[in-house]
Amino acid sequence: MLKGIGASEGYGIGKVMIVEEKTLEYTPHAVNDIDAEIKRYSDAVEAFIKETKEQAEALRVSAGAKEAEIMEGHIGIINDPGLKMSIEGLITGGTCAEAATEQTLDMFIGIFAATEDEMTQQRAADLKDIKHALLSILLGINEVKISEAPAGTVLVAKEVTPSMTAGINKENIVGIITETGSQTSHSAILARAMEIPAVLSVPNALSQLSSGEQVIVDGTNGEVVTAPSADDITDYTARRDAFLREKRELEMFRGRRTLSASGEEYELCCNIGSPKDAGKAIQADGEGVGLFRTEFLFMDRTSLPTEDEQFEAYKAAATILKGKPLIIRTLDIGGDKEIPYLGLEKEENPFMGFRAIRYCLKNREMFKSQIKAILRASAFGDVRIMFPLITAVEELREGKALVEEAKDYLRASGIEFNENIPVGVMTETAASGVIADLLAKEADFFSIGTNDLTGYTMACDRGNSDVSYLYSPFQPSVLRMIKSIIENGVKAGIPVGMCGEAAANPLMIPLLMSFGLTEFSVSAVSVLKVRKNIAKWTKAEADAVAEKVMEMATEKEVVDYLKSIV
Amino acid sequence: MVSKQLTIINAQGFHMRPAQMFTAAMAKYACDVIIKFNGADVNGKSLLNIIPACIKCGSNIELVCNGVDEEAALAEAVAMIENGFGE
Repeated sequence: MLKGIGASEGYGIGKVMIVEEKTLEYTPHAVNDIDAEIKRYSDAVEAFIKETKEQAEALRVSAGAKEAEIMEGHIGIINDPGLKMSIEGLITGGTCAEAATEQTLDMFIGIFAATEDEMTQQRAADLKDIKHALLSILLGINEVKISEAPAGTVLVAKEVTPSMTAGINKENIVGIITETGSQTSHSAILARAMEIPAVLSVPNALSQLSSGEQVIVDGTNGEVVTAPSADDITDYTARRDAFLREKRELEMFRGRRTLSASGEEYELCCNIGSPKDAGKAIQADGEGVGLFRTEFLFMDRTSLPTEDEQFEAYKAAATILKGKPLIIRTLDIGGDKEIPYLGLEKEENPFMGFRAIRYCLKNREMFKSQIKAILRASAFGDVRIMFPLITAVEELREGKALVEEAKDYLRASGIEFNENIPVGVMTETAASGVIADLLAKEADFFSIGTNDLTGYTMACDRGNSDVSYLYSPFQPSVLRMIKSIIENGVKAGIPVGMCGEAAANPLMIPLLMSFGLTEFSVSAVSVLKVRKNIAKWTKAEADAVAEKVMEMATEKEVVDYLKSIV
Repeated sequence: MVSKQLTIINAQGFHMRPAQMFTAAMAKYACDVIIKFNGADVNGKSLLNIIPACIKCGSNIELVCNGVDEEAALAEAVAMIENGFGE
């Protein structure tokens, strides 16, 4: 068995096709007619552009518009004025087109590789790809045609270049193995977009495998099974079929409403951390955003973001969501999330200390600029404000007073916003759970953050392995807390969502349905799974399960029982 | 010569796609387009110059346009960056 990085899920069983790059050796020749040599180069560029456009079109069909753009980027690079000037300059100085191309691209590859930025270093792969393609054209060498690979082919290459990917026929290629690459490299992104199982960074894959031999590509676990036995084949065929069946079943839930088996409707949203993720939420069929973490705007920089910067980011997310709900959580720093330029002092007990809403209410100018930015964005969609870490009614009142101040300011300045913007509470502390009835009278919605709620209720740090056994949302105390928050919200007639990890847990779902949760907010990859899980239960069945669970005395009883019925 | 201080707001920063959009837009102007970042001058018309500059989300830059159509070039460049390249 060969080990690598599982970069694209799934199982593929097939025969190896080694794709080795042809060596592009040449003897540099003297240039007598400079104009003719420049023309030879520009003809090659023209042929390159034509080929690349065709590949981009092929890629648009097989992997989507985003991937096609990467190919089109190659045209941008070949037309780059700096590149052109360098190559033509070398040719004018008497270097042949091949050597001029190679030297210039190698120079840029060196520059890209020398940056300490992983994403930039990976772009060097695009430059190598371009160099290779241009030299092939200049030297008149034909590449191995991946597009002609027979059905059941496992591609094995040093790396999957974008131009290679363009030739991949999804029907015929069942797996990809490479010697280089990581989760974020192009090979990985393209393999995932085409839904082909892939194992990357398998050391010496090219010398360890030979064309025609049978292998199993396990992209889920990052393994390649060589010389598989009959048992292996049976085992992996079963795994592959189960994987594909589950995927097909999930796809059936795309574009559908989120309904229980007895017809109750729930809202199913996504948690996001940047405006770009809003696009992923839509792609994943999320019905909105139940938690937009705003920390990204404040991190990895040296000073506070301006109100305008924040406004642009919130507006971008609202625009992408086209009227679907967008719950923006105000800054939640402190605890484990540090931002050096804020100058927060180290404290003995950061999770109990100066963080989130507590910090914001003491730094009112900063807080108000965030609130104004959110209000301004509310003119572009269904934007809502949520305060984290509320433990007392005063905090909610103070926060709401700041929202009103910000509204007065915007009104006076003639800036548009939603006068009725909902202001809600992230119920994630034991205190907020106990006073949920009081908070529900003054909040427009609740959203339960189960990670912190579990930690605070159990007085338990999940990072500490000596006590982490206590950390479970299935602890009777945490379940009672969740139930009370939901019931108090429902009684007051406000929506209650859950944006913690527990909302996507199949064991938790029937309980939440029974308690009366109105919105599930989960990571984009979980949307279809959660919709499918909700559809499994009628309200009456969920009620029966919840009734039993709420009588149980220990976490173990609860989990064992739920596992036995889910 | 005209210039403006800006902050990059799109999540990916001046990466492949934004840089591509930017250089393609700037190519139609005759003036020089310079991005001043981290004490270096980056040619705003060259993808191969912009990418290795690693200009990330949240970076502060100064855009400088110098030439006959500098006003129009700066206006379009500023609009693209402030709009987060439509991300």
